[in-house]
Amino acid sequence: MSDAMQFYITTLLIYLFIDIMGVLGLNLQFGVAGIINFAYIVFVGVGAYTAAVVSLGPDYPGNFQHYVFGASWPFPLPILAGGAAAGLLSLVVGVISLRRLRSDYQAMVMLVLSLIATLIASNATGLVNGPAGLATVPQPLFDQLGLSYLEYDWVYAGWCFFLTVLIFLFVRAITRSPLGRTLRAMRDNDRAAAAVGKNITALRLMIFVVGGVIAGISGAVFVEFIQAWSPGSWLYPETFVFLAAILVGGSANNWGVMLGTLLVPVGFLEVTRYLPPIFYQGFIEAMQWVCVGLLILLFLWFRPNGIFPEKPGRFKPRAAAQSGPAD
Amino acid sequence: MDAPPKPILLVSEVRRDFGGLRAVDGASFKALPGRITGLIGPNGAGKSTLIGIIGGQIKPTAGSITFDGQDITGLAPHRIARRGLVRTFQLSAEFTKLTVLENLLVAVPNQKGESLLGAELSRLYWGRTEAANVDAARDVLDRFAMTPKENELAGNLSGGQKRLLEIMRALMTKPKMLLLDEPFAGVNPTLAREIEQYLLDLRAEGLSMIMVEHELAVVERLCDPVVVMAQGKVISEGSMRDVTARQEVLDAYLVG
Repeated sequence: MSDAMQFYITTLLIYLFIDIMGVLGLNLQFGVAGIINFAYIVFVGVGAYTAAVVSLGPDYPGNFQHYVFGASWPFPLPILAGGAAAGLLSLVVGVISLRRLRSDYQAMVMLVLSLIATLIASNATGLVNGPAGLATVPQPLFDQLGLSYLEYDWVYAGWCFFLTVLIFLFVRAITRSPLGRTLRAMRDNDRAAAAVGKNITALRLMIFVVGGVIAGISGAVFVEFIQAWSPGSWLYPETFVFLAAILVGGSANNWGVMLGTLLVPVGFLEVTRYLPPIFYQGFIEAMQWVCVGLLILLFLWFRPNGIFPEKPGRFKPRAAAQSGPAD
Repeated sequence: MDAPPKPILLVSEVRRDFGGLRAVDGASFKALPGRITGLIGPNGAGKSTLIGIIGGQIKPTAGSITFDGQDITGLAPHRIARRGLVRTFQLSAEFTKLTVLENLLVAVPNQKGESLLGAELSRLYWGRTEAANVDAARDVLDRFAMTPKENELAGNLSGGQKRLLEIMRALMTKPKMLLLDEPFAGVNPTLAREIEQYLLDLRAEGLSMIMVEHELAVVERLCDPVVVMAQGKVISEGSMRDVTARQEVLDAYLVG
């Protein structure tokens, strides 16, 4: 295989795995628990920025970029820090917005939060270097491993695969458990869930933070691969790409949303990125957004449960001895 | 003659304003244990608001609610439910994308696998209690002749079956008292008679209930005592025969 081909494949694989992590986290919040988090990408962004500033080393006068904190934490601490920072922000946002507001208003709060966060990151230039963003984020263990760039990419793809499997198992443990059932019940009717004794505020907050941590981890793993992060990387429409993946694949179905990730953010967006430019510069990219919107509409209209619809819990039948006619 | 039993629920001078509208205006009544207390009155009398206040969905502007000897005024709905006072809703409130059996299982209190840690510890940790809960839920399904619907999505049930599901789900919490908000609304007559019989059976087992109902014939068969509301106030309290004989009740129904 040619080097260019290998580079292409490893990059796609890494994008796929990282997007799957992100989508699994949003699916917990949106698909399973019914929280309409239009700010999901903000938590991915916070994870990425955090991982960047704790691995870029201390800032110094005359540096080409400026940022807060600045440390050289070893692998895998930046990833954990990214998850923790995103989780912490989720807690703060959740406490403010998830307690009293109705879910449609929560959705608006999230959308506004997404816009505000981009503005802050762009304009508070000392925070994470403003609109130019952060660059030269070191790749974890690159020097220690002593691999060529291509070999390193394959190893990184394997690392992303490993993390994706971990997160998948973590998420699946929730969705298969009584907790997952209670979250789905809350999504279907929060008043009724409260009326049978479920603390819906606590449940919402908990799953919001769990999803936020996963978002942060996915952002951290991403920034350590592409080595740069700027406000343009996490504009609010990115959340809608994740939502499209969930709606297409099948909301609240872990396998479904993973297929959705393969189809929408990776298949649809990444592959079309390599199409030859037609009409004018940026036309294809603009059409991508149009198509993501159309895709969401079409699925909501014709197949609202996605390709793999949510699977309700099934239980082993009672032992036959008790009931049922003898044959 | 026995001493009158201690009321299980005491509603005292409850008031609720929505802007300038006084939906509940100093309502007081009590419900006795082991009885089905009927709450009746014309449209707009404030019955549903009062049920909402008792269930915790609506905060009262003034007044107090005492349940089982404890003040529950203004508590969050889930706290009230955990004390054994569980309500159903006027509009169907099933968990639509869960099966009938899952709907019942959700209501089981303090499940092992319901915390994040518990969930991550997997079936090895929560499997046994889950199996016991499934058994208990199937017993309830059997009792209410809903076993054939066990794996049906709740959203696909008929209106009457949804009402029944809500009652079954409430029972899974092992309540001391049920608050039933129009449990027969939209239920076909045959199933309605079955639900009536179920409620009578539950009463015979000692479960206390409060029931809002428009169909006075049903109230007469099931409820004793009956509390009559009009314009946010309790205007009469007593047996069905007593209250229907009173002029103010007749006026409220005719004028209201």
